[in-house]
Amino acid sequence: MLELKNIKKTFGGRLVLDGISLQIEEGEIVSMLGLSGSGKTTLLNIILGLVPMDSGSIIYNGTDISKVPMKKRGFNIVFQDYALFPNLNAYKNIVYGLKNKPDLLSKEELEDIIDFLELRPHLSKKIEQLSGGQKQRVALARTLVTKPKILLLDEPLSALDGVIKETIKDRIKAITKKYNITTIIVTHDPEEALTISHKVLIIDKGIISQYGTPKEVINKPSNSFVEEFIVHQLQIKRDNIYNLFGECYA
Amino acid sequence: MHNKKLEIKIIFTVIALFFMVFLFAPLVVLLRNSLSSIIPLIHNKEIYTATQNSIQVSLVAALITTILAFILAYAVNCTNILKPINAIIKVGISVPMLLPTITYGFVIIYSFGKQGLLTKILGRQMFDIYGFNGLLLGYIIYTVPFAFLLINNSFGYIDKKFMVVSKLMGDNFLRSFINTIIHPLIGTLGGAFVLTFMLSFTDFGIPTSLQGTYNVLSTMLYQVMLGSIPNFNSGSAIALIMLVPSIIGIVFLNYLEKFNFHYDKFSKTEIVKNKFRDISFASISILTIIAIVSVFLVMFIAPFVVNYPYDMRFTTKFIFQMFTTGQIKEVYVNSLYVAIISSVLGVVISYVSALINVRTNLSKRVTKSIDVFSMITNSVPGMVLGLAYLMFFNNSDLKETFTIIIICNIIHLFTTPYLMAKNSLSKINPAFETTGELMGDTWIKTIIRVIIPNSISTIIEMFGYYFINSMVTISAIIFLVGATTSVITSKIQELQHFEDYNQIFILSIIVFLTNIIIKICCELANKKIQSNRERL
Repeated sequence: MLELKNIKKTFGGRLVLDGISLQIEEGEIVSMLGLSGSGKTTLLNIILGLVPMDSGSIIYNGTDISKVPMKKRGFNIVFQDYALFPNLNAYKNIVYGLKNKPDLLSKEELEDIIDFLELRPHLSKKIEQLSGGQKQRVALARTLVTKPKILLLDEPLSALDGVIKETIKDRIKAITKKYNITTIIVTHDPEEALTISHKVLIIDKGIISQYGTPKEVINKPSNSFVEEFIVHQLQIKRDNIYNLFGECYA
Repeated sequence: MHNKKLEIKIIFTVIALFFMVFLFAPLVVLLRNSLSSIIPLIHNKEIYTATQNSIQVSLVAALITTILAFILAYAVNCTNILKPINAIIKVGISVPMLLPTITYGFVIIYSFGKQGLLTKILGRQMFDIYGFNGLLLGYIIYTVPFAFLLINNSFGYIDKKFMVVSKLMGDNFLRSFINTIIHPLIGTLGGAFVLTFMLSFTDFGIPTSLQGTYNVLSTMLYQVMLGSIPNFNSGSAIALIMLVPSIIGIVFLNYLEKFNFHYDKFSKTEIVKNKFRDISFASISILTIIAIVSVFLVMFIAPFVVNYPYDMRFTTKFIFQMFTTGQIKEVYVNSLYVAIISSVLGVVISYVSALINVRTNLSKRVTKSIDVFSMITNSVPGMVLGLAYLMFFNNSDLKETFTIIIICNIIHLFTTPYLMAKNSLSKINPAFETTGELMGDTWIKTIIRVIIPNSISTIIEMFGYYFINSMVTISAIIFLVGATTSVITSKIQELQHFEDYNQIFILSIIVFLTNIIIKICCELANKKIQSNRERL
């Protein structure tokens, strides 16, 4: 279980996170949802250990890891732009971490990840030859190879088109289930957050607006921000679809 | 980006110490020495005239060069001249950069002198080569490649779509030209003017043979320092006078930055067909390139004839003579040694400095300080740096050693490779170090496994830049070479006193060919890397 306690962070005198506290159970997918500049990516980077917090603590399975450096936390991230190394092909990117820790993964486990993400036909391709979805899967594979305790995904679907977006969404759900990895996703898209996660954390101006299941967010928005910017946005989308296809289709 | 780590702090400290010892300390000593004699020297009529001459000829050269370079860059970017002509312009213009400036003077004498090759072809001597005219021609040939590269590069960043918009808005040619070409380029044109002025103002190689009675500052400095009785105080005062326009130039260059346009996109559009324009620009460009290249033609003829220009029968005796004396081999090996070591160490120092600036989270003060080192090395003329070294290391074991020549080259040429590395490294995904760390890499391991392979083309270009410039520089090392550490450029300078022009030209050809080989090797290495990547 991951527990965040009263996390605060300022950047250049501006309070970016103001007392964030929450708990994430093992194997859960949690989406952090908010507008640009709301502090969600900062919170993700604090959990990863990339950015230090001003105050508060992070507890993982009962151990305070607030002061543990990023490298030793055992978490891993897929960046928004994937950060795939262009001098290496897809396969070499996937096994990059194994050069440092060859015993981390058996050959069978590696093959399993490659097959599960359907990357076998693309292994010898260079990065620029891959489509957006393929890049995303290579980045996921590279991260999974390191067996992260928590998988962090920064806007994982923002660069993808409609159909591929849905496929990757399913893939993320399947990975979480298959490998029982706690997954934290940062997104600004309410639809994405509510359809992929077990729980949604809505952040506005550095404070938690609501933390609950997608159903709770839809049915019991905690304040006007959630109502206006999250629920209302989804209602407009729903109405547009109704208008296009008719209510029975939806 | 990487967090603060001990290894980065150690690397920065080493670099800072290097610049403290080999840039700041010598300059402080030079400035301290200059203060006592600067006032009387300003009132010295000879110095006053030399300063005036230096400024005058450099200003005129800078003006002509900037206009000429602009015309060539315009021809390449804004006309439909044939692709081979484009290639000829780009290759031809870079020829002078492969030779030391000291050679320029001699080829001008042998081309435009009373018995010169071009004088014979044209049937009369076009102008008196000694003094203002010769210097002006030499400076233009020397600086036009630099100005062209600068302006041509900026042309690439102009959004050509604006030319279409201007036309659609009903602009006439002049208004369209001013709005879509001159305005976006005004900063670069100013920059090219300042840069070419500074190059001419601080050059030593060209006036050494062409100044005649038209004294300029660089030769004056040389005479004061390496005359029968070296005068350190007067030397440092002249160096200070040379430093002033350079510093003003750098400040002005930074000011001009704000005039640079930043387009979001650099779209290309079809260039309107206009045969008259294309033929005119192609003719001007070809003539300019022929003029530049033909000046150097004599260098490849004179050493291979019995007695140029009187007995033009072919001979190889000068070549054999030169190689049998063994002198050539010694200075050539010295030059190669200096160029290779300067390049390797120079690349390491400038690359690591850029790495610390761009790819770490060290405080702004630290990263800014590296930029300051770069700015200062850029503003100190080679001769001034050489003189500062002569004074600072005069009583040390480093005097007249290869070590001091190599260090001087590294510092003198630091800015361009540093900026090349900075530019390249800033374009690499900033998350690579974090990703590497999460995959178990140390910072240095990620640099070796990911960052260096992704910037290898730039590293090769940096090596080429250091090598070629180390081979051709004269001003930076003229005060530092000794009897056993003589390099080709200093040997050329020495041979001038014996009026042994055949040997001078043979040495110049050797420098030229070596630099061409290095240039080709760098190109091939980059192509190989590119094709390896494609095969990956």
